[in-house]
Amino acid sequence: MSNVRLAEIQILEGSRKKGEPLGILFWICVGWIALNVFVAIFANVLPFQNPLNEDFTALNAAPSLHHLFGADDLGRDILARVAYGSRVSISVGIGAMIIGFGVGAPLGMLAAYRRGRFDAILTTVMYVMLAFPAIIATIAVLSFWTPRSLTKIIIVIGVASIPLVYRVIRTATLSVATKDYVVAAKVQGATDRRILMKELLPNIAPIGISFLLIGIATVVTLEGALAFLGLSVTPPTPSWGNMINEARTILQTNPWLVIFPSLALCLFLLCLNFIGDRIRTHFDVTEVKL
Amino acid sequence: MSDEKLLVVKDLKTTFDTANGLLPAVGGVSFDLDRNETLGIVGESGSGKTVLSRTIMGLQPRTKVSVTGSAVIDGFEVVGASENDKRKIWGTEVAMVFQDPMTSLNPVMRIGKQIDEALRVRLGMDKAAAKARAIELLELVGIPSPQERYDAYPGMLSGGMRQRVVIAIALACSPKLLMADEPTTGLDVTIQAQILNLLDELKDRLKMSVILVTHDLGVVATRTSRIVVMYAGRIVETGNTRDVFYHHRMPYTKALLESSPKVSNHSHTRLVTIPGRPPNLLNLPDGCAFAPRCSYATDQCHLVRPELEPSSEPGHTFACWNPLPVNEEGALA
Repeated sequence: MSNVRLAEIQILEGSRKKGEPLGILFWICVGWIALNVFVAIFANVLPFQNPLNEDFTALNAAPSLHHLFGADDLGRDILARVAYGSRVSISVGIGAMIIGFGVGAPLGMLAAYRRGRFDAILTTVMYVMLAFPAIIATIAVLSFWTPRSLTKIIIVIGVASIPLVYRVIRTATLSVATKDYVVAAKVQGATDRRILMKELLPNIAPIGISFLLIGIATVVTLEGALAFLGLSVTPPTPSWGNMINEARTILQTNPWLVIFPSLALCLFLLCLNFIGDRIRTHFDVTEVKL
Repeated sequence: MSDEKLLVVKDLKTTFDTANGLLPAVGGVSFDLDRNETLGIVGESGSGKTVLSRTIMGLQPRTKVSVTGSAVIDGFEVVGASENDKRKIWGTEVAMVFQDPMTSLNPVMRIGKQIDEALRVRLGMDKAAAKARAIELLELVGIPSPQERYDAYPGMLSGGMRQRVVIAIALACSPKLLMADEPTTGLDVTIQAQILNLLDELKDRLKMSVILVTHDLGVVATRTSRIVVMYAGRIVETGNTRDVFYHHRMPYTKALLESSPKVSNHSHTRLVTIPGRPPNLLNLPDGCAFAPRCSYATDQCHLVRPELEPSSEPGHTFACWNPLPVNEEGALA
């Protein structure tokens, strides 16, 4: 009897630890993202070269001690430009997603929970917005909204992402809102606000987080595309996106110029995705881990 | 106050406005329920028993449904009440146990928290008191080592355990009426019996009334005092459990009883089935809805719908033009 009880308690103790350990790779990724953000914030304090300084002795230089990542066709230090470029890319990625999720997510949840006319009108409006390809819409607005600044780019991309976020969150909420436990909470007298915050939000959070991370990745590349069309931050201010696009034309003579910003972008996105995935499985309590 | 009926349902109709026309899921149902009584509502799938129980709870989809008639729970008229008013009786007057324990618990919230919620929000308990009460409730529904289970997530519990938790949540605010909509459908037979016995025991212990909605006559046989038999959204026979089982007059009730397996049957006995299928509610016949499937049907059955009329036993009514003869021996037909 006491053995059975002991075993039971041990099982409970074991199951109380949520999921698998996060693992070393998770912390490496967190470290990398932290490093990126740190560099983006303190780029002008850290010992980088001036990203706009043209060194005519090092045109298209390969990596060396003087230019660790090499130099571009105008002799500008690629390391410094990647570091400074992260400022634009990371702030556009995070800023736009804050706008997109800040507006799209609550609206999507409300629409899916309330249904009826509110949902019908809002969803129609969002689908009309979705009918314009995001890239065309942002190009159109940014062409007229001058002078361009980082804030304006964040706002335009952020607004363009609202319907996408809305659609994903609304669909996720719809599938949860019809579950019995939501009705059960309701007939226990829970208010709408409580149902939204305690029953729906935690259950759609995994989908939300996954979409958020993919969203940041998409936005960073979208900024690159806009930069390519000359609609992002005005050159010579570097961003990962416009560096890759500029480098495209001299890819054969100077591959370093495209490798390093691409690598920075890839690692940034990869780490974000890995972190998101890990967090999701770690905090997943819907399945027992044995 | 206390000798008043706990629930009085009068001519309750729930009609859905579908793309194909009006669908009368519940078409004029009247019955009542005493305090500390267990009532069984039985019928095939699609007979309107779930819609009936949800209508009595005041739960309807937000769109395109009209409810008329009246359903009064302990003096509170549910039909036409606003969501805010209904929230006052939900949990404290009437609570619900759902069919599938796998979906009726929030998978990302600890079960203790889910019981706590109602206690803290509805009864204004503080954290410690709510936790103590939640553990008490877990113990009440027969969950071993409730102290430890308090912190478990639903995913860590088996189906039977989860249904116990669902019942504990429903009982949190001591409701006077517990609505159990097919509470054992998702469970193994042995667990079914445990859960039903638990409900029975709790009913007496907590002096509440229970409405047991089910398609399984075996479930209601020993645990209810009265039974309501539904077909196509209407009551076709109602009475004391004993009368419905042994002196039923409506051929549908007989057919239902015959179609459940019996221990006394020889092995490999084929189950008697009811021929045909339930009628399309969008296009109900003028006469008795069961007539097309009924071996006793006459022309009159197809033309005029029979109303409920009293049988020889008190409280026993049935709706049939050609009722089965009164069976005095009391043998199961």
